[in-house]
Amino acid sequence: MLEGALLIRRQRVPLGLWGATYAAGLVFGLALAALILVRLGVPAPALWQEFVVQTFLTSQGLGQTVTAMIPLVLVGLGTALAMRVQFWNIGIEGQLWLGAMAATWVSLHDIGPAALRLPLMLALSMLAGAFWIALPLALKLLWGVSEVISTLLLGSIAFFWVQHQLFGAWRDTATGFPTSPTLDAVERLPLLGWGQVHAGLWLALGAVALAALVIGVTRLGFYARAVGENRRAARAAGLPVLLIVCSFVLGAGALCGLAGAVIVTGTEFRLSQSIGAGYLFSGIVIAYLARSNPLAVLVVSFLLGGLYTAGGVLKVFYGISEAMVLLVQGVVLLSVLAAQLFADFRVETRRAA
Amino acid sequence: MTPKPKTPIARPGAHPASGRAPALLLRGIDKSFDGHRALQGASFRLGWGEVHALVGENGAGKSTIMNVATAVYAADAGEVIVDGRDVPLRGPADAMAAGLGMVHQHFRLVGSFTVAENVALALRGAGNNVTLPEAARLLSDRADELGFRLDAGARIDELSIAERQRAEILKVLLLGAGILILDEPTAVLTAEEARALLTLVRALAREGHAVVLITHKLREVAAYSDRITVMRQGRTVLDAAPSEGLDMGEVARLAVGEMPPTPPRVTARPGAPLLRIAGLSARRADGSPALDGLALDLAEGEVLGIAGVGGNGQSELVDLLSGLRRPDAGTIRLGPHDLVGASPARRRAEGLRVIPADRFDSAMAPGLTLAENLALTGVSSGRFGSRWLLDRARMRREAERLIAANEGRGGGPGTKAALLSGGNAQKLLLAREVSSDARLLVAHSPSRGLDLRATQAVHQAIADGVARGMACLLISEDLEEIMSLSSRVCAINNGRLSAPMPVAEVTPERLGALLVGHA
Amino acid sequence: MMDFILAWLTVLPGYVVPLLLASLGVLLSERAGILNLCPEGFMAVGAMTGALLCLAGHDPWTAVLAGTLSGLGLSLVFGLAVVVFRVEQTLAGLAIVALGLGITGVIGRSHVQKPFPGLPRLSETAWGADLPRLLGQQNMLLPLSLLLLALIAWFLARSPAGLRLRAVGEDPAAADISGVDVQRVQLGAVLASGALGGLAGAFLSVASAHVWVEGMVAGRGWVVVALVIFARWRPLRCLWAALLFGGTEAIMPRLQALGVDFPVYLGAMLPYVLTLAVLALASMRRGARSGAPAALGLTYLRQDKH
Repeated sequence: MLEGALLIRRQRVPLGLWGATYAAGLVFGLALAALILVRLGVPAPALWQEFVVQTFLTSQGLGQTVTAMIPLVLVGLGTALAMRVQFWNIGIEGQLWLGAMAATWVSLHDIGPAALRLPLMLALSMLAGAFWIALPLALKLLWGVSEVISTLLLGSIAFFWVQHQLFGAWRDTATGFPTSPTLDAVERLPLLGWGQVHAGLWLALGAVALAALVIGVTRLGFYARAVGENRRAARAAGLPVLLIVCSFVLGAGALCGLAGAVIVTGTEFRLSQSIGAGYLFSGIVIAYLARSNPLAVLVVSFLLGGLYTAGGVLKVFYGISEAMVLLVQGVVLLSVLAAQLFADFRVETRRAA
Repeated sequence: MTPKPKTPIARPGAHPASGRAPALLLRGIDKSFDGHRALQGASFRLGWGEVHALVGENGAGKSTIMNVATAVYAADAGEVIVDGRDVPLRGPADAMAAGLGMVHQHFRLVGSFTVAENVALALRGAGNNVTLPEAARLLSDRADELGFRLDAGARIDELSIAERQRAEILKVLLLGAGILILDEPTAVLTAEEARALLTLVRALAREGHAVVLITHKLREVAAYSDRITVMRQGRTVLDAAPSEGLDMGEVARLAVGEMPPTPPRVTARPGAPLLRIAGLSARRADGSPALDGLALDLAEGEVLGIAGVGGNGQSELVDLLSGLRRPDAGTIRLGPHDLVGASPARRRAEGLRVIPADRFDSAMAPGLTLAENLALTGVSSGRFGSRWLLDRARMRREAERLIAANEGRGGGPGTKAALLSGGNAQKLLLAREVSSDARLLVAHSPSRGLDLRATQAVHQAIADGVARGMACLLISEDLEEIMSLSSRVCAINNGRLSAPMPVAEVTPERLGALLVGHA
Repeated sequence: MMDFILAWLTVLPGYVVPLLLASLGVLLSERAGILNLCPEGFMAVGAMTGALLCLAGHDPWTAVLAGTLSGLGLSLVFGLAVVVFRVEQTLAGLAIVALGLGITGVIGRSHVQKPFPGLPRLSETAWGADLPRLLGQQNMLLPLSLLLLALIAWFLARSPAGLRLRAVGEDPAAADISGVDVQRVQLGAVLASGALGGLAGAFLSVASAHVWVEGMVAGRGWVVVALVIFARWRPLRCLWAALLFGGTEAIMPRLQALGVDFPVYLGAMLPYVLTLAVLALASMRRGARSGAPAALGLTYLRQDKH
């Protein structure tokens, strides 16, 4: 089968070719996604209006996009950092739930003075996220348990834990709905006066800048690159491999935990069952499309934020489920992945001698 | 799927004198691997009933041209004519059906299957739907004919290398191969096993098979060959018969290009004792012992050679010394310190340096640049920036210096290590490891896969370090390498080390006996 | 106590069968060397397709067949990606799950929470009315799945095609030289995993719940991947692994029915915790890749320099 097509691995992938295949994959994926949306009943002219004009070119739309971008940057960065040391963090949602729960717990019990309440919520959420990734990390380091599976299972476990709290001790007695009571004003991230955009933006931008600095100019960043490229060689060269892996992976968990707290304190103001949905795939998509580069994570998150905004609009006006966001991400990711073939290999169509 | 011929096209046949077409004829073969031209108009002619040695250095294109013949690789240009017929071969299965059987250097046997299962798999692939018991019976019958025994029910990964090789040869013969191509068949065998194999090959040629022996150990196979083809840099440079008064020195010159410079001599002036290993034992993942109570002593300025067929515990010994794995028992003393519990970083600080058999396994990262690879071991000392920040400009300058000092070609500081040729990468790795503060170098097959020139550069670097007083533990399958560099030699077999003997007292027979554990 | 065990055994197959079917699919694909994280997606499309056809008034068996085919269709995308386009298998698997969950969310939106009769229990069929309760409460998919288990175990261990499939997963280069079409075998194995995943999903909606809700697979697809590791890639051990997880899952509603006051969501969490614990214990004792096909997750390319 397929003997007519010969694949020959390229030793050296020219940058131009790499860029071209990446762009082609992206365009093809987006076109396919657009086609699917049209089939689902969105008029073609509305696509431009909803996905470009209303999400990036109006102040209100741009504000929504930036708001959606904030947690995406954090989870994308969390996946990217872990990927740098060859750790598949697919338990993003679990770490996010733990972070959101930690923040909610501080708020419910009014822990600490009011002035320090918000910093405490954020700090504890990072600890909780790091804690939730520490278990798969330990299982992998000690016994080689695949982190793909352990992080995924812990994601499900975290979600059941959230439901247990929301249907039990943390249920809002005022409404009777399975959500936690709304946060006090001091427990909320301040708005920046542009739509719903809140101070979490500074946290996200700060995290990107810090990650870019660490990876670009520090000894730790260089070591992490060596560990990611060849772990055995890094160990033999005397690098503190364990320390490097742990700091990057725990940092990744902390960022995903922070994302949970940012959603609770910045946009939702309460814990509910729906706030974590979809971040798993977005984290993977962002980290892969950005090739684990922090600045690229920011760009991809911004674009994905636009998709989230448009998804909300399509739901209201065309009755299309928010799962559309997931579908589009899957189509685009697969398309970019498959296009990679033409960069990695020379494809020749001929019959063998 | 194309219908497969029931019987192979090329069957063992009469001697060339009978006027039959050549068994295999390759003409004008070009093949490149993304820019790297492996074959340029190469040719090869093989007659029936002939043992034909195909010699050349590593990278000369010997394996590549045979992989083209068996349709593993698709050639860019040229003809492949089997037994006078120009049949298009679209894959290894087609080649097999045409009667071309290749025994690869890395055997194409499924490790977790039994010998019979492997044979059944291949026979069924060729359209012969045998059952497992039938396959087992065919195996033992053919083995009897050839005069050896093989347990058809044994799992491949439980067999020795020599047994696996026999299983592979049997498999190819049972598939009806008239033409047998053996890629570096003696590389992993002891002298005794190699003799047995070459005798078997001659017997097959008498039956009328055509046999190709790909090798870079010319001397070993010359006596068994009817014809010799020499390849160099992707071209065929000689095709002649030893009976025509061929000068072996001339053949070697053709293979290398010009006479190689004389090999470096190590002037051994053993100084104070440096390394003492005692009772070192370790197990493999499956629980079998890899090293069993290994002990040795090594002094400053001395080279101790450890000869042995691969897979007898060498890789485990290297990992134990570099600190990548922990022993079950034993001590490793370097000077006054016991290193058994020490981290790789501590060991490096004590002056321990390691060249692993595969540099991209545990020495260099293929995806990092040369500058990064060369700085990898030096960053922690503060040579390339402070505790927190990295000085990339200094890394680049240092890399430029090292590349220039080693006449490095094919890459600058920003080149990815994976893109460098094996020889250049190995020279740079040695430059990184054999620095002034190196006290003990553990070198595992340091010249494997390198051409003669690069091998000599590698040996020179080791000799220079030893002249400065560095000790060297040289672990290698290449006896020539061991003999030319070591002052004492011992053999490793099944995780045990023989008592060392001075290099002057070593003879191939004595060493051969030690390697198979008969001493 | 006896009543409790009987009741538990009666509901047990409803939990075990989908896990068994999907894990057999993953097993086939992984024995051919293709790392398969897709079952969450396969099961989702299978469950929705089955439900949609039932709601449209089709025969439940047609619905089951359609669910199976929908899983097969999604696996074709996966197969093309990893076998033909040589996409990294972990990422491709995750993308397929995103596709599966996305498609079901978008298409099934208007069909949520609508009950339908679904596949009849044996006691509801013309010939099964006299069966004892334990058997009568089951449906035909239970014997079918056990039959599939036996077939697949035989196929892998005894049949020539099974030998070829295992050879591809252990050493594709050796298989290739033995005349095995590596890509065809891998594509076939992936398609089988999709069909079995789709069937497992159809079981969830058509045979078990008789309703469709978004997210009804609820992470079982991930559990399936873990079960195969825990079963060390052996078909019969998949049954024990599925019984362990499904058995724990089935016990919770029984306990509540007895009036045992146990928090619902913590109970639902338990099987996942157990899976993780068992996986960790097994890896601790034997090493995580014990029994794994040697070429699992690797991309084979004949023209690579060997």
